[in-house]
Amino acid sequence: MGKKVLMKGNEAIGEAAIRAGCLNYFAYPITPQSEVAEYLAKRMPEVGGVFVQGESEVAVGYMLFGASGAGARVFTTSSSPGISLMSEAISYIAGAQCPAVFVNIIRGGPGLGGILPSQGDYFQSVKGGGHGDYRMLVMAPASVQEAVEMMMVAFPLAEKYRNPVMILGDGLIGQMMEPVEFPDQLSTEPSNKDDWAANGMEYRRSDKRNLVKSLYLDPEQLNNHNLLLKSKYERMKQEEIRYEAYNTDSDYISLIVSYGTMSRVCKTAIDNLKEEGIEVGMIRPQTLFPFPETAIHDAAGKPSCKSVMSIEMSMGQMVEDVERCVKGNRPVGWYGKCGGDVPTPEEIMHVIKEGI
Amino acid sequence: MDASKNHRIDLKGIVVIVGNYGSGKTEVAINLAIFEKKAGTDVRVGDLDLVNPYFRTREARTLLKDHGIDLVLPPKQYLYADLPILTPEIGGLIQHPGELAILDAGGDDVGATVLAALADHLRGRTVQTLQVVNPFRPFTDSIDGCLKIRREIEAASKLTVTGLVGNANLIDDTTPSDIEEGYEFVKRFSAASGLPLSFITAATDLLHRLDLGRFTCPVLPINRQLVPPWRRSEPDY
Repeated sequence: MGKKVLMKGNEAIGEAAIRAGCLNYFAYPITPQSEVAEYLAKRMPEVGGVFVQGESEVAVGYMLFGASGAGARVFTTSSSPGISLMSEAISYIAGAQCPAVFVNIIRGGPGLGGILPSQGDYFQSVKGGGHGDYRMLVMAPASVQEAVEMMMVAFPLAEKYRNPVMILGDGLIGQMMEPVEFPDQLSTEPSNKDDWAANGMEYRRSDKRNLVKSLYLDPEQLNNHNLLLKSKYERMKQEEIRYEAYNTDSDYISLIVSYGTMSRVCKTAIDNLKEEGIEVGMIRPQTLFPFPETAIHDAAGKPSCKSVMSIEMSMGQMVEDVERCVKGNRPVGWYGKCGGDVPTPEEIMHVIKEGI
Repeated sequence: MDASKNHRIDLKGIVVIVGNYGSGKTEVAINLAIFEKKAGTDVRVGDLDLVNPYFRTREARTLLKDHGIDLVLPPKQYLYADLPILTPEIGGLIQHPGELAILDAGGDDVGATVLAALADHLRGRTVQTLQVVNPFRPFTDSIDGCLKIRREIEAASKLTVTGLVGNANLIDDTTPSDIEEGYEFVKRFSAASGLPLSFITAATDLLHRLDLGRFTCPVLPINRQLVPPWRRSEPDY
């Protein structure tokens, strides 16, 4: 780890990509994500990397596909409407089994919505967004430091699974400033790119010929292809679940499930409630897909726990997954806002007290 | 905590706050406004940040109002618009700055461009343009980086930087030695640029751990106002 610096989340995400050995960045500016592009416009030339601003997010998605298909480590950043435009390419990239990292700094929606923080793209990220049977591995940072750490593992994970990985941060993650340290540099070359890259046989360590495609006209072949993809998503569920448990050693009366910066508001509320003698626990999913199903199921099942609340800056998206995990063992409620005003610790405390 | 025990911050008339992205211009502007108001100066503030979507002076509008500080903002319905709106009232603020008018510009040359649009209003008036420097930020961790930002801001704003503000901090992780190190850095920048050091800053709760006598400039105490929603802004002094 190096010297501590003070960085905006968007800048830190850009720097983390460079440290993670990603020197190919394609993007289109959109608030509240544009500082990544501004930062990398300055930094990429310094490190011999490339930043190309596409003419639209649709183009950017396919620039990633092309570069990844040729074996380059690639990433992009955008915000909600931009990710909608990229979603077709994400489906193609998943179908063709190419690695790529997408960062979504979510703003309020639907449509143009607003520029303030939101978590309204949970469904889009976790349940699809684009067409067909694919999944992205989705990680949700709660701090600038965690955004950096997730960026550092996003590239190796994308390559391990040959699949798109998404870092899902709300607008605050992109805009707030926090002290941050960067881990040491990774190598710039995906170690397993012989498995998929169509980059010319002279660059190949093996004689295997690669074809980058997502078209399978034969029904049996397409079904087998989807079974192969499914097996990767099942393996993610076995190997990649990450979550943080907060105050779950206590005999909590209520369990919060919350992610991203919203979870930090919840932590303050939990600390304040503790001072009032009310114990509340929290599971914070760090991966939204794969979702920490067992952890939430077990935490909800603790004898002291009477109810579960999904607290999210959306109109109730993650709550559907929480209900799925709790399996009716406890009542599951939802609280959230999605206009851009982040719920305050006092609001969360009030909601929890009303529920117990 | 009274930092003026050492040296007084002596600013009057129109003071423009510039600097690179995230150097802390807005936190400095808000705290300077309240500090000067409490010292008996009539203070007005103009939010000229047209490039940053979050954490702008407008977030502290209630606090400034409570202190009787006039804050000039775009019309309410455009406060959260992603548009470069410059309210004509800024022109009025420049014409009638009162004892002290603080103009808080956006970051980098891009954020300072708005000042060039005010050139007609600013022509013939005495303006102090202060460059805020935090050496813990990317691109201003070297003297060359600070000089480059200064040149870019001057070219974009059509103003000449006249002084420096040392704002070395890592927010909650700041130690007294970070502030001392930052002071030494900004002194070197001052020597290299020929620009006087107007003041440095330090979080109020760090002041008692600093040897204020070692600084040859005033120290503005900072009570953090631009905080994320899980934190409470600090009560003013």
